[in-house]
Amino acid sequence: MAAYLKPVLKHGLVTALALSLVLTFISPLLAGAMSVDVTTAKSNETGTGSVLGGEPTRVTWEALVGDGEQVSAVRVELPEGSSITDDSSVKVTVLEGTTRLSPENTAVMNKGDASVDVSFAAPLQPGQRLRLEMYKVSLPNVNGEVTLSGTYTLANGQVLDLAPSPAIEVTHASTAEKISNWLGEQPAVQAWNSVTFLRLFFQPELIVSSIPIVAVGWLISLGLVLVGFPLAIPIGLIAAFMKIARARILHVLAAIYTGVVRGTPLFLQIYIAFFGLPLLGIDINQYVLAIIVLAVNSGAYLCEIFRAGIQSVPNGQFEAARSLGMTGPQTMFYVIIPQTIRRVIPTMTSEFILLYKDTSLLAAVGVMELMLYSRSIVSLTGNMTPYIVAACFYLIVTLPLIRVVGNLEKRLALADSGGSAPKKKGRKNRRGAFAQMREEIAVNTEQAAEELQEQVRIEAHVDDASGPLDMDEALDELQDGAAVDAQIADADERGAQR
Amino acid sequence: MSEHGSMISIQHLSKCFGDNEVLKDVNIEVAKGEVVVVLGPSGSGKSTMLRCINLLEKPTGGHIFIEDKEITDPKTDVNKLREHVGMVFQQFNLFPQLTALKNVMLAQRKVLKRSKEEAERIARFELDRVGLGDRADYFPAQLSGGQQQRVAIARALAMEPHVMLFDEATSALDPELVRGVLDVMHSLAEEGMTMVVVTHEMQFAKDVADRVIFMEGGVVVEEGTPDEVFNHPKHERTKNFLGHIQ
Ligand SMILES: Nc1ncnc2c1ncn2[C@@H]1O[C@H](COP(=O)(O)OP(=O)(O)O)[C@@H](O)[C@H]1O
Ligand SMILES: [Mg+2]
Repeated sequence: MAAYLKPVLKHGLVTALALSLVLTFISPLLAGAMSVDVTTAKSNETGTGSVLGGEPTRVTWEALVGDGEQVSAVRVELPEGSSITDDSSVKVTVLEGTTRLSPENTAVMNKGDASVDVSFAAPLQPGQRLRLEMYKVSLPNVNGEVTLSGTYTLANGQVLDLAPSPAIEVTHASTAEKISNWLGEQPAVQAWNSVTFLRLFFQPELIVSSIPIVAVGWLISLGLVLVGFPLAIPIGLIAAFMKIARARILHVLAAIYTGVVRGTPLFLQIYIAFFGLPLLGIDINQYVLAIIVLAVNSGAYLCEIFRAGIQSVPNGQFEAARSLGMTGPQTMFYVIIPQTIRRVIPTMTSEFILLYKDTSLLAAVGVMELMLYSRSIVSLTGNMTPYIVAACFYLIVTLPLIRVVGNLEKRLALADSGGSAPKKKGRKNRRGAFAQMREEIAVNTEQAAEELQEQVRIEAHVDDASGPLDMDEALDELQDGAAVDAQIADADERGAQR
Repeated sequence: MSEHGSMISIQHLSKCFGDNEVLKDVNIEVAKGEVVVVLGPSGSGKSTMLRCINLLEKPTGGHIFIEDKEITDPKTDVNKLREHVGMVFQQFNLFPQLTALKNVMLAQRKVLKRSKEEAERIARFELDRVGLGDRADYFPAQLSGGQQQRVAIARALAMEPHVMLFDEATSALDPELVRGVLDVMHSLAEEGMTMVVVTHEMQFAKDVADRVIFMEGGVVVEEGTPDEVFNHPKHERTKNFLGHIQ
């Protein structure tokens, strides 16, 4: 994370550059000793301005020869933890004003202590500028500023210390960033990236380096919804009970709550909560506030889910429980709710999925979550790949849940038509038990279907208890009812004969 | 009315659903131990009358006494009343998430506060009584309609009701499943249970009823012994109704 965000937040590199520039202009005034006025390292991270520690980079070092000094050799020491390899090289440039000179010199890179020795056949004169460009050297893998030190030798043999160089901001390279850098050097990856579309949306290096960052956002989003959703459940339940309560005031309050929350965008609710509460002087931690907003929002939807679930339980269930002397709360708790839970779990899971995706809206008010983490990399790199990574992080949660919802719904449909095996079947011979269960379900389903048909037939004739009847209708009914009664009596007799 | 004492006394009962007057000045007496069968065409108010007896419907007018306690009095504890009035519905209304055994145990535990052991003992006894001792661990969906209805009867009986109300208990059943339920009801009657039975099973009425009531259009048109009502109906409408059956 830090690798990308530090530059954004601190503008470290920019500051370092600015500082170097200022020093360039004021350095002649400080002359008298050789002054190191420029040290920079080329960014070695894909798409961003950061300099990663432990990864090859190009370090540029410049110094101005001071008044009255003649410099015959310079030794530049890279900071502790830097490395120079066989691939490393150094380019020496000497400038006088804007003119490039080519004095005879020897430059040696020391792998052992990560230093560079340059010596000149003819000493450098005051006002001349020495520039060393060190290719493929690595700075230490740390977070923070590093400086280059060293010594210079005057023509008279006197050895003096170099003043500390301007600082270079180095960011710690994670494993992912190292892999990412390695990938960037692979020819296959480079070929892939030569296709604009692939580079902009599926850049391998960026996929690798954004995963650990986006993962942090993912954990935060998941955390928000894993705390917010369970809080929404009691809110939804209470609101659902209020809605079906007989007391008018409770019903009205619940209706206002669900109406307002469901009738306005979550985006707006987030804005009001995040910008409105501070105006009132209420200062809540933004993650806590995010959880509250999510819970209140989801509670309203859950309320409707629970209410519909409760009302989908046939009225006969209430009547059967009440006719056994059970109180209202007992009926709710032991008879209605258990049936409701089974029915609402699929819809509740869908609501969870929606809420999880909706955490992305919190990015608009600066809550660091999945969306904002990926957006910060996108705005740094100008590349869409982090959004694709974010999409994957949403999907690893939502896709399995979508499957779960599907399976639950299927099982619910099966249970409604068949039911499950009796408990006493025991564990052994599971296969047999399951086969039997499937058979039973099939038989029961058939039976249920037949019963239903029969019921519908009889009800249509016998118990069509609708509306006030006029005489003709009543007579018709009387005849129909009698006809069915006759049928039933017939069947009765048949039954008795058997 | 009877020497054994009154179980149910319905006096000038009326019930309106909005403008629709479904029961008009209904008067019915049921003595302890009596089996009363209520006949009548669809929509005549039989179910409504039955549901008024345990206050699943609130009467609009009149008085109902059960064992000489006025249940239409607002001070009556409705839940207490319902403990003593068992009801069996056309649609069984078993609790689908519970096994047969648990269906019969639930109200015993929660309403009568019986211990788990006692409730289970009684539940198994009642399931045996309706011939389903071996189906205790089945869920309702795994039972036939007739078996479900018998579990529903066991569930009501486990509460040790003083009177049982049956609302077309066999109307939703396949013809071949009706017998088993009627047999259970028959033996209940023989054991002396007070019963009010709404049914279309004429043979059952003739065999089991002490008294038959014929309702139509929300009023009691005729009542008497099965012999009086079936063989010598006084009213034209009764004759008409029975004529279509016999
Ligand atoms: N809950 C209700 N709301 C409105 N009307 C009802 C309700 N229950 C029953 N009724 C009406 O009352 C009348 C009698 O119904 P019911 O008692 O079920 O008759 P029965 O059981 O004899 O067929 C019917 O006309 C029916 O439409
Ligand atoms: Mg009815």
